Order: sequence, then structure tokens, then C-alpha cells
Amino acid sequence: MGHIAFFGIGAYAYAILALSGFPSIVCLLSAGVISACFGFLLAIPTKKLKGDYLALMSLGFSFVVYAIFLNWSELTRGSLGLPGIPRPIIFGFDFSGNAAFLSLVIFTALFSWWFIHRVTNSPFGRALEATRDDELAAQSLGKNTAKLKSLSLIISAFFAGIAGSLFASYITFIDPSSFTFTNLIPILLIVIIGGIASLPGTFFATMLIVLLPEFFRFVGLPSEIFGPVRQIFYALTLILIIYFRPRGFYGKIDLE
Amino acid sequence: MTNIFLQLLINGIIAGAIYALVASGFSLIYSTNKFIHFAHGGVIALSAYVLFWLSALIGLNFYLAVFLTIIFSAFLGYLLNKFFYKPFRAKKASPSILLVSSIALLILLESIALLLFGADIKTLDLIKTNRGIEIFGAIITPLQIVIVLVSVFLFLGLYFLMKKTKIGKAMRAVADNKDVAEILGISAEKIYNWSFVIGSVIAGVAAILISLEQNIEPTMGTNLMIKGFTGAIIGGVGSVPGAILGAFLLGLVENFGIWFLPSGYKDAIAFVLLFAFLLWRPEGILGIKNNHKC
Repeated sequence: MGHIAFFGIGAYAYAILALSGFPSIVCLLSAGVISACFGFLLAIPTKKLKGDYLALMSLGFSFVVYAIFLNWSELTRGSLGLPGIPRPIIFGFDFSGNAAFLSLVIFTALFSWWFIHRVTNSPFGRALEATRDDELAAQSLGKNTAKLKSLSLIISAFFAGIAGSLFASYITFIDPSSFTFTNLIPILLIVIIGGIASLPGTFFATMLIVLLPEFFRFVGLPSEIFGPVRQIFYALTLILIIYFRPRGFYGKIDLE
Repeated sequence: MTNIFLQLLINGIIAGAIYALVASGFSLIYSTNKFIHFAHGGVIALSAYVLFWLSALIGLNFYLAVFLTIIFSAFLGYLLNKFFYKPFRAKKASPSILLVSSIALLILLESIALLLFGADIKTLDLIKTNRGIEIFGAIITPLQIVIVLVSVFLFLGLYFLMKKTKIGKAMRAVADNKDVAEILGISAEKIYNWSFVIGSVIAGVAAILISLEQNIEPTMGTNLMIKGFTGAIIGGVGSVPGAILGAFLLGLVENFGIWFLPSGYKDAIAFVLLFAFLLWRPEGILGIKNNHKC
């Protein structure tokens, strides 16, 4: 539930490194790695927790991270944010143009998908599924479930960090307000609609959740209304989906 | 001569009183219903806006507006239970699902407030000059004294309610063991409704006092819930006195904390405390160790 923190850490890591002049590829990858390190840090206390408390802990973690973004002004400029983040220039390709940037993002997304697909279909992935289905059984078969859970957290943090760095270079400006818990809601919605533990589900759900509110734009709502209407749309959809179809559309398990 | 220690102590008590108001209502609902009603913050936010609407926009007599606002809070709490949580409960939803849907509900309520009233900060300009009284080198305003007194009064009332009245005992019975309580003839559904009504009334009072002392903005619910929730966790989330204690502790630690840290870190202190307690003592100071299975 605190996943937005990794997104934010990646974004800030990229921004700070890029503004200090490091080459883009270094910034991008470091963003992922730094996020993963924080994932590791979070994994330590949460290894033994379950269910509600795990969710609350990671939620609390995201609050702490947000507070740091807001207050550690020497590093993050606090609520003023970091403007002027450069678009990446990798191996001589300049991704400043939107079309070029889109291709970078698509490439990264495809690579991430492929990687995660390989991981989930590997013995490691099967062990993870076993842990999810019945942790006690998995443990009795000799799997170190705490380590498995930590690893999955670290890996997912890595990708969130990469996403954060892309976000930072796309908007070229970041400030702490993009990384509050409220911003997690669309992501949560995507995961639930697509169905937990399903990659194709995530893909379709993302398309749906991101594109649908854009239709409202064409309906001609004034911009002050657009923001809250979008939030209401997300919140209502989340509630309806949880109520009527907790499995989502492709999910393997019910939201337990 | 300002006595910093006393000033921080007083500020801590005032902040603690506000958090305790939020935490006590929320904790009452949690202990009875056994899930985390995050949308409690939404009840507070909407009640504050209703007060603003009645008092500043329509221009009703302030005390009448207060009275109507409290009725609104109670009613909203009741509605949320009946039309939102009850269907989920009927589907045997787990506490995790109720938690997530409650968060979504909070966002929904706050977005409605944002939609209807706009994002700018509203104030209730009813108290023209709020000059503080000086006591032993610390300053406290009459309104702040009112806040502390009202909360103490409410807490005593809550204590009396829980210990001495039939409804209170029934609520504690359902909190302890719902099945046995039902066998004894207590309607759990009715108790759930009552817990929401009472908890939301306290939320309404909190909303009114906060609107007077500070101001009104759409995200106030989320912020207060985080603080109130942290207080409840610190003190023991299943226990209402624990929640109150924890909330006061949080207020004090926050205010003394900024003696040492830059004041921007005030909220961070709360989060770190929340994190620490969830890690090392999730049952809080007064709580009983609860196996979150079954």
C-alpha cells in the first residue's frame, strides 16, 4: 500500500542525479536501484507481518517518505519542487521530443513486462505463488517465505523506481504532492480491476483507467471540476469493483 | 517572559484534545465493528463544510448551525454504515477489503467536498479577536480552553456511556464477542448503527472545533484521520481510552518534538511514531495482543 513511495523515490533520485549532471542512463538505472534499496529497507521490518498490518506499515512508510520529500529541502527543495529536469539522452539518442519519449517508455514497459513475465514463470515465481496461496505449506516444503516476500518487494520497488524516473523526465518537474497516498488510488484501481497476480490484466486495466477519464475532458467540463470528478470516478469505480468483482477481470485470486 | 516548556505543553494538550476527539470516535467504531473506518475523516470534512455552508453561506445563527451540523454528522455516519458497510459485511468481506473500500470512500467524500466547495481554504470568521490569555508565561486563547474543556467533557460522557448505560454495555459486549452477544439477545446490527452514530457525533464536534480553531480545506479529513489513527494505534486501537491516551501523547510528542527539529517535521514525527508502533507494539500501549486471524 505504500508503493507510491518507491515511485517517488525513483522520481526524486532521477531528478537529483540528472540535475547534477550525471549521464541519463546512470540516472535511470540508479533510480531503480535506489528504490530497490528502500524496498530492502522496508522489507526488513515487514518480513514477519501479515495482511492488515503489512498494508498499514507500508502505508506509514509512504507517509514518512512523503514527509521527507516535503521537509528535506536541502535535497529536494521541499514543496517548491525540482523544475527543469532534463529528458534522457541515451547513447546519443535525444528523447526530448514526445514521440521519441513515447518510444522510450514503450521500450521500457515492454522490457519490464518481459522481465516480470520471466520471473513469474520461473521456479522463483512459482515459489512466490505457493507462498501467496498457502504460506505455511510453502514453509513446510522448505521455502524461505520471508526472503521470497522481501525479494518480490525489492524487485517491484526497482520497477516503480524506473517508472518514477520516467515520470520525472516526462513532466520535467516534480514536487512532493505527486507522491501522496491519494495518487496511489488509480494504481490500486488498476491492480484490482486487472486482477491481482495477472500481467495481461494489468495491461488492459491500465489502458482503461488512464484513458477513460480523458473522455470526460471532451465532455467539456471546466477544469476545476475535472480534477475532483476524476477522483470521484476512481473512488467509485474502486468501490464498485471491490464489491461486485473482487477478482477483477483476469485475477487469479480474490482480494482476500 | 515566555515559558517555552509550558507553552509546548499547552499546545500539546490542545493538539492532543483535537486528535483525541478524532481518535475516540474512530476507535469506538473500530472496537465495535472490527474494521478500520477510514472514511471517518470524510465525515469530519463534510461536517465542517456543512457548518461553513450553514453558518457562513446561509447565515444561520451559529448555535443553530452547530446543532444541525451535529445532526448531519450523526446521520451521515448512520447512512455510511447502513448503505455502504452493511452490504460489504453481508458479503462477508474481510477487514482488508473493508479497509480499502473505506479509503476509497474517504477519497470519494473529500472529492465531493472539493467539487461542491472548491479547493481554497475556508474560515469561520466568527471570533473577531482571539487574544490569548497569559498563564505563567504561556499563552492560551479562550477558544483553545473551550476545545480542551469540550473534549474532556465528551470523554467523560463517553466513559459514562460505555460503563453505565445499557447501550454502552451492549457495545462493549459486541466488541468483545459478537456471537455471544447475539446469543444473549443483543442485535449486533443495531449496535453497529449506534456505534456509527455516536462515533460520528464526536466527529462532528471535532469538525466544529477544528473549523473554529484552524480552517477548512478538502483534505482536512485525511490529515486528521492519519493523526487520529496514529494516536489510536499508539494507545491501543481496540480500546477507546487507549485511543484518547495515545492521541494526547501524540499531540505532546509532536509539539515537544519541534523544540528540537524544524517545525516542518511535525507531521513526520507522527508518521515515524505510527511506523514504530506498528513495528514493535501494534497493539498499542493499552491494547491486548490480538491475533489477527479468524
